[in-house]
Amino acid sequence: MISKADRRYSAVNSLVIPAFVIVALLTQIPVLVTLVLSVLKWVVVRPDLGITFTGLGNYLSVLSNMEFYGVIFNTVLMTVSTIFLCTALGLFFALLLNRKFFGVNVIRTLFIAPFFVMDAVTGIVWKTLMLHPSFGINGVLAGALGLPPIDFLGHFPMFTVILLVTWQWTPFFCLILLAGFQSIPEEILESARVDGAGWLRTIVQIKIPAIANHIEVAVMLGLIFILKIFGTIYVTTAGGPGTESTNLPYLVYRTGFYRWDEGKATAMAILTVILTLLAITAVFRFVRGRAKKVEA
Amino acid sequence: MNSLTLSATQKKTLRVFANTVIVVLCLTYFFPIFYMFLTSFKSEADTVPPKLFFTPTIENYQAVFTSDIFRHILNSFIITLSATVICIVLGVPAAYAIVFGRLKKADSLYFWFLSTLILPAVSVIVPVFLVYKVLGMLDTHWGLIWIYVGANVPIVVWMVRAFLKDIPLELLEAAEIDGASRLRSFYLIVLPLTKSGIISTALLVFIFVWNEFFFAVSLTYIDASTIPVYMASFMTQEGFFWAKLSAISTVTVLPPLILGWISHKSLVRGLMMGAVKG
Repeated sequence: MISKADRRYSAVNSLVIPAFVIVALLTQIPVLVTLVLSVLKWVVVRPDLGITFTGLGNYLSVLSNMEFYGVIFNTVLMTVSTIFLCTALGLFFALLLNRKFFGVNVIRTLFIAPFFVMDAVTGIVWKTLMLHPSFGINGVLAGALGLPPIDFLGHFPMFTVILLVTWQWTPFFCLILLAGFQSIPEEILESARVDGAGWLRTIVQIKIPAIANHIEVAVMLGLIFILKIFGTIYVTTAGGPGTESTNLPYLVYRTGFYRWDEGKATAMAILTVILTLLAITAVFRFVRGRAKKVEA
Repeated sequence: MNSLTLSATQKKTLRVFANTVIVVLCLTYFFPIFYMFLTSFKSEADTVPPKLFFTPTIENYQAVFTSDIFRHILNSFIITLSATVICIVLGVPAAYAIVFGRLKKADSLYFWFLSTLILPAVSVIVPVFLVYKVLGMLDTHWGLIWIYVGANVPIVVWMVRAFLKDIPLELLEAAEIDGASRLRSFYLIVLPLTKSGIISTALLVFIFVWNEFFFAVSLTYIDASTIPVYMASFMTQEGFFWAKLSAISTVTVLPPLILGWISHKSLVRGLMMGAVKG
C-alpha cells in the first residue's frame, strides 16, 4: 500500500534513477565484468589459444612475478612522496600567499596555474623546454654554471615524475589550505599576538591546528587522484627504463593495450582496486581516528 | 627586549623584502608555463638552442589553425561540452532527490556515488573497450562522452548535494503549502538559489574532462581523439619542433586555465563543503 504522501514524492525520488543507471552501467557493471575476465586466459593477439577458464591462474602468475611488487613499490613511493611534498610546499606557499600586498591576487593566480594544465602538456613542456639536457633550461643553467647537465629523465625517471606531479598538485593543496587560513577568525590571531606568541609559534600552535580539516580534505582528494597518475608517465618516461617509473595504472595499461593479455590485465586491475581501497580506507581511518582524539 | 623590537621603518623594509621573495618564488613556479608561452612565438631556429632575444612570430599559431590539429581541438570541445551538460542534467536532479526526496536509502545511495569516485579507471577500461568494440563505439565522440559522464556524474552529485544542504527545508515546505509540488520547487526555488554552485561544479567537470588522458588514449585513435592524445602522439612523431609544440600546448591549456582562474574560489568552497558535509 503506497500512501498518498509517498506517491507525491515518487516523482522527486525518480529523479535519481537516470544518474544511477548511467553510473551503474559505466562503472559498477564494468568492474564486475573485469572480475569475470580476470579468471579467463585470453590473449587477444593469440586467437589460436582461444579463451579458456584458468581460475586464479592470472592472479598466481601476476603475484609470482617480482616485477609486480616493484610496481607496487613504485606506486607507493610516488604517491606518498608526492603527497608529502605537496602538503609541505602547499602549506609553505599558503602561508606566504595569505598576506595582503599590492598584486597578491595576480601572484596567486599565476601560482595556481599548473593545477589546470593537463598532464600531457606538463609532461611535454618539462621533458623538452625545461629538463632537456642540451636545449632545455636544464642545459642552459648547467652551461652557465659550467657543470655537465643532468639527464633527469634518463637517470632519475622516478624523481622526475614525482617532481612533475608535485609541480601540478602543490597549487591544489595550496588553494585548499589558503582557504583554511583565511577562515581563521581574526580574534584568535589577535589574542595570540596579545599573549606575545611569535610568528613561528602562531603558525605551529594556532594556524596549522586550526586548518586540520582542510589538510585532511587536501590529502584525501590528493590521494584519490595521485594514485591514478597516468598521463605524466605516458608522455615522459613511458614507465621506463624497464619498469623503473611504472605505477599500477600504467602497468595495467601496458598489459591490456600493448601485450593484449586481457586476463592478466584484468587480474592486475582487480588487485589495483583492492590495494586502492585498502590505502584509502587506511588513510581515512587514520585521519578520522586522529580527529576523534583531538576532539576528546 | 628593546633591541629585538623593530622600528617602523625596519618593519616596512622587512615587509617589502618578504613580499619581494614571495613574488620571485611564485614567478619561478609559474616559469615553465611562461616559457612555453614565450617559445610559442619563436621560430624553430631560435628555440633549439634557446635564444634570449628573438623576433616574435605567429607562424606557429598559423600552423595550429591550418592543420588537423584544429580537428582535435574541435573534438575536445564537442566531447567536453556534451559530457559536462549531460553530467549536470543527470547529476543535479539526482542530488535533489537525495536531499529533498523521500528516498528510503538516500544516504547509502549517496555513498554509493562517492565510492565510484575511488574506483581506479583501470578497473573498468578493459570491459568498456570490449563493449565499445562490439558496438562500434571505439574512436567515436559518443564513446568518450558516455564514459566521461559515468566518471563525473558522481562529482556533480557530491558537490551539488553540499550546495543543496544549505537550503532550509522550511523554504520548500512553505512552498508546498502555497501549492508548489516538490518537483516544481526544484526549478522554481532550488535551481535559482544554487545557480552559482552548479556553475562552478560544471566548470570543474569541464576542466577534468578537457584534461582527461587515460580514457581518451585507450578508447580513441584518429577520428575522435581529443587534444591531449594528439599532443602525446605529436610528441613522439615530431618531438623536435618545440616552437610548434609550445603553440599547440598554449592553445590547449588556455580553456581550462581561464575557467580555473575565474572559478578557483568557488571551486575550493564547493570541494570543502562537499567534503565536510558528510
